[in-house]
Amino acid sequence: MQWPIRGGLSVHVADLPAPSRAVPVQITEEAGLTAAWDDDFRVEPLVAEGDRVAQGAPVLRSRHYPEIVVTAPMAARVAKIGLNAGRRLSRIVFYAESEAGRHSFDTSAANSLDAPAAMRTSLQESGLWSAFRSRPFGGEPVPAEVPTAIFVMAIDTRPGAPEPRLALSGHEEEFARGLRALTMLGDGPIFVCQPRGKTLFDTSGLGERVRVIKSGGQHPWGLPGFQIHRNYPADTGKPVWDVHAEDVAGIGAFLETGLVPETRLISVTGSALREQRYVHCQPGADLRGLSHGLVKPGRHSILSGSALDGHEARWLGPRQRQATILSGESGQHRRHWFLSALQGASRPLPIIPTAALDQAMGGSLPTAALLRALSAGDAETAVKLGALSFLAEDMALVDYVTGAEPRFSDVLTTLLERIAEEEVG
Amino acid sequence: MIRGLWDRETVALMVLASLLPLTVMWLQVEGIAAVGRLIFFLVFAGIWHVVFMLARAQPPSFAGAVTALAIAILVPRELNVVQVLLGLSFGVVMAELVFGGWGRNILNPATVMLSFVGFGFPQAPWPDLIAQIGWAAIPAALVGWLTGVFSARIILGALVVFGIASLGGVDFSDIYPAVAVVLVLLVCDPVASAATQLGRWLYGALFAGLIVLFTLYWQGAAAIQLSIAAALLANLCAPILDEIAIASWLALRRRNLG
Repeated sequence: MQWPIRGGLSVHVADLPAPSRAVPVQITEEAGLTAAWDDDFRVEPLVAEGDRVAQGAPVLRSRHYPEIVVTAPMAARVAKIGLNAGRRLSRIVFYAESEAGRHSFDTSAANSLDAPAAMRTSLQESGLWSAFRSRPFGGEPVPAEVPTAIFVMAIDTRPGAPEPRLALSGHEEEFARGLRALTMLGDGPIFVCQPRGKTLFDTSGLGERVRVIKSGGQHPWGLPGFQIHRNYPADTGKPVWDVHAEDVAGIGAFLETGLVPETRLISVTGSALREQRYVHCQPGADLRGLSHGLVKPGRHSILSGSALDGHEARWLGPRQRQATILSGESGQHRRHWFLSALQGASRPLPIIPTAALDQAMGGSLPTAALLRALSAGDAETAVKLGALSFLAEDMALVDYVTGAEPRFSDVLTTLLERIAEEEVG
Repeated sequence: MIRGLWDRETVALMVLASLLPLTVMWLQVEGIAAVGRLIFFLVFAGIWHVVFMLARAQPPSFAGAVTALAIAILVPRELNVVQVLLGLSFGVVMAELVFGGWGRNILNPATVMLSFVGFGFPQAPWPDLIAQIGWAAIPAALVGWLTGVFSARIILGALVVFGIASLGGVDFSDIYPAVAVVLVLLVCDPVASAATQLGRWLYGALFAGLIVLFTLYWQGAAAIQLSIAAALLANLCAPILDEIAIASWLALRRRNLG
């Protein structure tokens, strides 16, 4: 028996509209997939620049894991494939061309829901595998990895995030089918995290392994990291995956039709917008296209992700469901050189344990001890306190609240990289 | 990305704001002499902060003003300037600045300074705080709790123990103003106090327990003197209380999650 979840903080960015009207579908003219320079995602292009590709058709294959492919986000012409040294992906850009149609996969073997190997193959060859993220250390799970538990996030408390309930409404059957598909990827429990209230789907026939977690609380309790940390901590050799509920419904639909889902529900919010909106758009959508005509005059920056954990980007990032357009200069304002020098000399800045800090980590773990272990690079204590369940996005609220320098997101990422290296090496 | 504002200096300013009711009441009661003493301590604590800024590139902090205020209220009145400056320098430098400034210190500098003066110059009489100043600690604690810089757990932990003790017949009527003032000025300091939730309950309870013990068995001690001794000992125990809290959290987690 655990205490019910309370606590957390609400961060106000903008008021989302009530989702009463039908949410429009908008396929932007351009779409792109990028990889960060240090991602080391080595690929083999399956198409050439100028080729016409159907929506959902494989366009890139991983060289490390040939089972993993990337599929076209829309019916399009391939505009540009940018590869760095060593065939590392830098970006691939598409121009919409709706005549190219949709690519269909044969999912009859997987759809029978009794062939785990076929299920894995289907998800991997259709690129839907990238909806999963594995902890500890983050990133897409390797093809052979078997999760000890999967967290399905039907709750999202990031400021301005679209309600997963909205994305699921009308797709409950596909969602249940998708959950059944998830049970075939491993032997562990499947946790569905949702807000308090009515259960969002029909649990009958799903078996004991699918469990519903009804979570109260404000941000960060809608982040998978905190739910995993609380309910089923990840550890090296005990990977825990998380996946968004809408993607699970997408998997359910894919198994039935063989078509990769075309769109996802995202919110376009931020202080620089005249009007906040929801939209169904393709993965990798052009964020300027989504906010076109809505931005107030003046300088602004466009983030893929929420105002807390987003990054400036041109395209909607993988697994992202928010575009945030903030007014004003991005980054920090310039300060007097003497003050910056003083600040720089005393990094990392000390952390004062206040109520705000406790709530920024959900109010139910020894926050100050964990943050001090992170600042000091004390991997052993951090792991003991459950740092392996967390990823950079989970520290975004602490960074916001304390204005920490360097950011705990970056500190945690570095620490996790070090632990991963030690474990592997 | 947006940034919030609860950095170190905001917290220090919030602590100062919380202590305002107490400060105003104290200044009103003690008059112009108190103003002079407060300015004296502010200036000399400030000088040490500037010295460390120039020599060690440590940004000065408004927390220095909190220290100066606590010392000005609680220090024995009949010490001469040299004695007071010795004590102040010992507290501010050895308990705070050499650790890297506010936020990295282990003990509260004002607690250390006052204990130092108490041990070093025991003949100097401790001041008597009148009841109004004690009552002014209540709004201070409330503001501190509402702004999140003081933990309600510390105060409640202490109140629980005081409640039990007074039911058991311990008489706090002479010492409660001093205890209340020391509780908000020294014990609730967010940096030096315990930082875990269970740790804070224990920390508050330990402070109150020590007060009860000293009231019963320390003959002839002034109210402020025994409060400061209790604050210092509780402060020294804060890290171990946090360790206990973390160990019990881990044990509970292991039992729940296997």
